[in-house]
Amino acid sequence: MTAMLIDNGNITKFLDSVARDRLLVAPVREEDNVVMFRHVTGGEPVCLDYLNASVSPREMFFPATEKMFAFSTADGGLQPAEPAKGKRVLFGARPCDVKAILSIDPVFSGDFPDPLYLDKREKTTIVALACTNPSHRCFCATFGVDPAGAEGADLLLTQLESCYLAEAITPKGNDLLEAYRQFFSTASGGHAAEKNRLAGAAAQKVNKLDTGGIKELLDENFELPYWEELALKCLNCGICTYICPTCHCFNIMDFTRGGTGGVRCRTWDSCMFMNFTRMAGGHNPRPTRKERLRNRFMHKLKYHLDRYNLPGCVGCGRCAGACPANIDIRQIIKELREVAQNGR
Amino acid sequence: MIAIEAELKKAAADLLSSGEAQMVLGFGPGSEATRTTPVFITGAGDTEKLVFNPFCVNNLVKYLIDLKDYPGKIAICVKGCDSRAVNRLLQDKQVDRNKVFILGLPCPGLLDPEKAEAVIDPSARLLTAEMEKDGVKITTDRGNYSLPAGFFMDKCRRCAGRNPVVYDRLVGQPLRENETGDDFADVKNIEELPPEEKNAYWDRQFSRCLRCYACRNVCPACSCRECVFDRAEPGWVARASNLSNNTAFHLVRAFHVAGRCVDCGECQRVCPVHIPVGILNRKILMDIKQMYDEPTPGISPDRTPVLGGFHTGDPDEFM
Amino acid sequence: MGGNCACAAGNPLMPHTATITSVTEETGDVKTFQMVFDDPAVMENFRQKPGQVAQISVFGMGESTISITSSPTRKGFLEFSVKRVGRLTTVLHNLEPGCKVGVRGPYGNHFPYEIMKGRDLLFVGGGIGLAPLRSLIDFVLAEENRDDYGKVEIVYGARSLDDLCFKNGLMKRWPNIKNTSVYTTIDREDPAWQGHVGFVPAYLEEIAPGADNKYAITCGPPIMIKFVLSALEKLGFPDHRVITTLEMKMKCGIGKCGRCNIGSKFVCLDGPVFSLNQLKELPPEF
Ligand SMILES: Cc1cc2nc3c(=O)[nH]c(=O)nc-3n(C[C@H](O)[C@H](O)[C@H](O)COP(=O)(O)OP(=O)(O)OC[C@H]3O[C@@H](n4cnc5c(N)ncnc54)[C@H](O)[C@@H]3O)c2cc1C
Ligand code: SF4
Ligand code: SF4
Ligand code: SF4
Ligand code: SF4
Ligand code: FES
Repeated sequence: MTAMLIDNGNITKFLDSVARDRLLVAPVREEDNVVMFRHVTGGEPVCLDYLNASVSPREMFFPATEKMFAFSTADGGLQPAEPAKGKRVLFGARPCDVKAILSIDPVFSGDFPDPLYLDKREKTTIVALACTNPSHRCFCATFGVDPAGAEGADLLLTQLESCYLAEAITPKGNDLLEAYRQFFSTASGGHAAEKNRLAGAAAQKVNKLDTGGIKELLDENFELPYWEELALKCLNCGICTYICPTCHCFNIMDFTRGGTGGVRCRTWDSCMFMNFTRMAGGHNPRPTRKERLRNRFMHKLKYHLDRYNLPGCVGCGRCAGACPANIDIRQIIKELREVAQNGR
Repeated sequence: MIAIEAELKKAAADLLSSGEAQMVLGFGPGSEATRTTPVFITGAGDTEKLVFNPFCVNNLVKYLIDLKDYPGKIAICVKGCDSRAVNRLLQDKQVDRNKVFILGLPCPGLLDPEKAEAVIDPSARLLTAEMEKDGVKITTDRGNYSLPAGFFMDKCRRCAGRNPVVYDRLVGQPLRENETGDDFADVKNIEELPPEEKNAYWDRQFSRCLRCYACRNVCPACSCRECVFDRAEPGWVARASNLSNNTAFHLVRAFHVAGRCVDCGECQRVCPVHIPVGILNRKILMDIKQMYDEPTPGISPDRTPVLGGFHTGDPDEFM
Repeated sequence: MGGNCACAAGNPLMPHTATITSVTEETGDVKTFQMVFDDPAVMENFRQKPGQVAQISVFGMGESTISITSSPTRKGFLEFSVKRVGRLTTVLHNLEPGCKVGVRGPYGNHFPYEIMKGRDLLFVGGGIGLAPLRSLIDFVLAEENRDDYGKVEIVYGARSLDDLCFKNGLMKRWPNIKNTSVYTTIDREDPAWQGHVGFVPAYLEEIAPGADNKYAITCGPPIMIKFVLSALEKLGFPDHRVITTLEMKMKCGIGKCGRCNIGSKFVCLDGPVFSLNQLKELPPEF
């Protein structure tokens, strides 16, 4: 596939042009420390010098609130949500977040394919932005993610000295390059070499934790005193699950405004919340913070692997930075490994 | 701050070994140099874990609600701002005064971990933290740093209550309070905006809200058994996140803690998308101070919450 | 699976509209609703197996997971027995024939009725727990299937006379089918009740059915299940011939919303039917 160059100055023009033809979602700096993936329509500054966005771009396929259909309470008439219109571009997603999309794809496909998710997925071209300078909190290599890699992306951008190298990975990525060819110029072997050097340096810099033995430990031990200790701190605030790129839990809710109709939506939900598993009559199989916290980390480090043979965590480091109680999955990995090795 | 760590550890160990308390709830070393984490210590030998440094940002008082049924007595570490939250829970009869031992920690101010982590090596171990004129000097095993005042948390730069207002034992010496006091500049900056800009400002902030409710979960003034936002029947505020529901959520939340918010700043600290929710609380706090000449809630355990009573002479220009 | 599930507009989370055609009051808080899809083709193609569930929508209220209590041998309608416990079930209880609801499914695995062929069957139910069992009872007792199975014993109990579900089946229909016995009990004495009084597990031990060549299928309140399982063990049932159904909170019913997991298993996909040996493999979080 093709590799091309785009000048720093041309990026904005390229994006403005894309935004005119397609629905474009790109990182935007909203406040000092807040970068969000936003729908941009052209003209607004897109942020490319960010470490990672505060919230993962899974929102593009799995929105926080998504209408599924409208209903009439009077006659049970149903009106499905409009399918996503036209082509879309997710621009500037980090490799960990792209890999995370691959991790949740099988949840939304399988025996009961989810058209709302898959339709958006199919219509979207993913442009990944290689990490040439991973943050101290990035540990994606732990889960086989290459910080400058392109797994799952259609097009990979890597920032070089004074321009970006754009490598098409899939036909979709190639089409995007072709469609906006005027903003790109040809790349030389020197550019490829520069990219490889940067990618190598990034792979060197990024943290790679040793997870050896953890899966086996968790396979054998559902009860560990460790969870209880950790749960004392947890506020069950749900931050970790809302910002995580691989969390996929949702609730289904009807919204009515009196009258005779309403809409059924799905909304993000969190296994950290008490009501998540509380059943009618009050029985709750995960009654305390301990069971809820354990469920989250078991999902990340075991359950997702068991079900899909894909990692439930991609090492983006978001939860480690945002947890108000400093419950840090990197430390959990280290401590579980100690338990695995020394039997605590 | 770190200078009083030894005294703190000793005090905690004494409480546990004498049987005066069965648990010490304090700050322990976090996963990075600029982080600390709550620790729940039950053995006198483990009190070595306790730290007190400029990154002890958590208000631990909220955990007292979770530990309401803990059979023993809990010794809790509180900074000035946190101590108001203890009074808050005492007033609401959420905790039994006889079941807590309050270790008061005079606090010269905290550093914003997000700002500091850009400078301080995350794998470093903090050795000392000395206040300097207009800043703080940090020494670590990986290098020394002089951080100017801009690195302090905003709430600490305006703090007028560094010394705990309630304690059973004060660790270290009381500090001189900041004379200028709280100028509410954060509130006024926004209040002064023309209406359209003010609107645009809050729309931008609220539209980012994930409705994770972390701001509620962390708040020591939020202690309802079932929160109105979790109730399905009647569903007062729809769970769907969009600008109008988010705005409703934020206004209801701010009004719900009006007159009870102790201005600890936790809600704003924890927000994963940095919505300055504290400004809403502080707008109400500022008005309360101006209209009723009341101090910040939680200053004393005996005062009726300002919106919990009335005087015939109260201002009534809204009537 | 996905291919033949009844969902609208290709969206497995979107139900088909159905009409309530009859409502039977079973007890003070349980009603059986008969429902028919508005689209005859959907009705025709709906192929549930005994033990599967559906998601019932009351529009404006949401959805609830309910076992399909009617046997697949009875075609042209579906039956659901619903206990009034919360928001949705309360509103559903107020609906009358002619009211519109939504139905999607069938979901989950089913009772291993193929493997059970040629065997005797012992059903042990408590309260509303008879609802999922009823689909299998009516399936094996249906004329076309009766000879595939051996002796059928049904042990059922409820708190009081008024709490007995499916009285028509218990008192009239089932006992009159060949090689079938029904044992009914209530927890407390009642002047209007001549039958057995006592809890289900104790009654089961009293009846002491043999375990040879027999499957035991049980469903009921958790506390009953616990004692029934130990009674069955005493009676000599090996774990793999003890079958039960589990309940977890559900929303999607199709393995996506992530809440019904017990360890790595989703009750909505891998259950709700489990044998006791499978159950023992699961972490104790249900
Ligand atoms: C596999 C399975 C089979 C079931 N079969 C039957 C049956 O045949 N008859 C019957 O009466 N009940 C059955 N239930 C239980 C039934 O789903 C709940 O009682 C019902 O959803 C409660 O809804 P509610 O709105 O009245 O209660 P609320 O407490 O108001 O619950 C609100 C919502 O939470 C969810 N929810 C709450 N409790 C449960 C639960 N226990 N299981 C699943 N979702 C829940 C539902 O979406 C419900 O609408 C079954 C549950 C499962 C998991
Ligand atoms: S962010 Fe931290 S405190 Fe909040 S639910 Fe997650 S682990 Fe618990
Ligand atoms: S668990 Fe934490 S580090 Fe892992 S993918 Fe989710 S947010 Fe990122
Ligand atoms: S303001 Fe922040 S902490 Fe509060 S609900 Fe919104 S995103 Fe969560
Ligand atoms: S509203 Fe915010 S500042 Fe006020 S008490 Fe609650 S958490 Fe603290
Ligand atoms: S009910 Fe949604 S995953 Fe099982």
